[in-house]
Amino acid sequence: MIFGFLKSPTLSPRLHRLRETALLNTLTPLELKIVDGLMHERRYLAGEIIFDEGEEGQALYLVTAGHVQISRTINGAPEILTELSPGAFFGDLALLDNSPRNAQARAWDNCELAVFFRADFMGLMETDAVIGYKISLALARHIASMLRAAMNPDRPQVGAL
Amino acid sequence: MTEQQHSGPIVWCGIVAATCVLLFLMQQVLWLSIPFLLGIILYYMLLSPMQRLLRMGYSRNTAALIVGFGFLLFVLLAVLAAVAWIPAPSTAWHEMPSRYLAAGMRFLRNMMGALEQQFPFLQPAHLVDSVDASLADYTRGFVERHLTDVLVAVAAWVPSMLLAPFLTFFFLRDGRRFKRFLARAVPNAFFEKTLYLLHEVDQTARRYFHGMLKLTIIDTVVLSIGLWAIGLQSALLLGFLAAVLAWVPYVGSIVGCLLVVLVASADAPDNNMMAYSAIFVFIAARLLDDFIFMPLTLGRSLRIHPLVTVLMIFIGGALAGVTGLMLVLPLLGVTMVIGETLGVLITDTRLQARHRYAQSLRVKQASIDLK
Repeated sequence: MIFGFLKSPTLSPRLHRLRETALLNTLTPLELKIVDGLMHERRYLAGEIIFDEGEEGQALYLVTAGHVQISRTINGAPEILTELSPGAFFGDLALLDNSPRNAQARAWDNCELAVFFRADFMGLMETDAVIGYKISLALARHIASMLRAAMNPDRPQVGAL
Repeated sequence: MTEQQHSGPIVWCGIVAATCVLLFLMQQVLWLSIPFLLGIILYYMLLSPMQRLLRMGYSRNTAALIVGFGFLLFVLLAVLAAVAWIPAPSTAWHEMPSRYLAAGMRFLRNMMGALEQQFPFLQPAHLVDSVDASLADYTRGFVERHLTDVLVAVAAWVPSMLLAPFLTFFFLRDGRRFKRFLARAVPNAFFEKTLYLLHEVDQTARRYFHGMLKLTIIDTVVLSIGLWAIGLQSALLLGFLAAVLAWVPYVGSIVGCLLVVLVASADAPDNNMMAYSAIFVFIAARLLDDFIFMPLTLGRSLRIHPLVTVLMIFIGGALAGVTGLMLVLPLLGVTMVIGETLGVLITDTRLQARHRYAQSLRVKQASIDLK
């Protein structure tokens, strides 16, 4: 029991699913287990709103099953921006700067999400610099890819929320 | 969920009323609320080392056990070091209460005598004789009369106090699981705001108890230096005891001062200057506390208006005595966070509508094959 830290933890199906997300795929099994301990699991029915545009953001969401639709009101009419599949994540801007959501997220079909609360993420950055650095790098890469996509006139895409 | 949102008078009345009800209930189950409070204080003390062990790969159970036993070992070593370091008292333990009581009475008598000498108009009042007679009446057989009650009370409290380390262990081991369990019961529409609420409750309690621990350390150091400077023996022990007693607002400080004055009078029976100096040290430490240390440690922890703080301390004292004085501020801080967040959740029409919509989706899904 005391020397439990010497053995590498085995990955449960849930940890496997988390490892397949772009945000956490660089984490070791032990780091993944620590992050999983901070996450909350939520289930949404098709059509249920996950968060609204303009709402104050407190958490990042990882899609572990099902699909999520991201839409935004443009010229008074809702417009679908993208659809996210398992492995994707959204709500990342709220994690970084506590800003209001810039789009609405709605469950496209029955889906399962892992929720990473902002205060837990900030706490992790302070207490575990290695995990914090790996997640921050994944976030930076994600934002850079979206910026590149937004600057490409042939394939404009908005994803970060 | 920001600091810009302010609650109205109705929410605040609810917060004050809920705090009073909670205080009243806690007073009814004092045997549980005091160990619970100690358990929470220990939990916030041991949380950091526990998190360090978790990051090293230990399971929550093992980490909680290691931290718990480590703390017990530390306390035992500290007690052993104190026993070895603090000189043994010259009087036997059973004679100590009477010795300090007699010293206190002598100090009072000397002080009254000095007052009568300084202000001759007090002499016709025979202050020394009348105070002496009243005190002699009150204290005759004081120890014999109250010793049994004190011993019975201590024996009754021991099992209850043993609950504190158990509670701490379970807080450390299952605290996060309990938080997740609570969050799971919340509907999706209110989930993020509830997470924020739980976080704020945790932060408020953590800030308060960390602040209180820091204040205790600072008070111990300041009082020990002051008491050591005036030549009192066991200055560190007395400083520590007085700092712990100061956890009870107002009353604790007075009791701590009385304790030190009694010890000073017993140490220097014919020299009232020692006791006067101890009182001076206490007043100086109190002033430093109120104007410098408290704003730096506890002041920022609860963000409650000073007038409300003072009023609530009086209400807490009236409702639940010494326990009320001790518990009213952290309880008010936590109730304030919960009340303000509930106020926001109840008045947010969009969240209510989303919740109703999600409920209708669930009903539709559950009854899909019933037609």
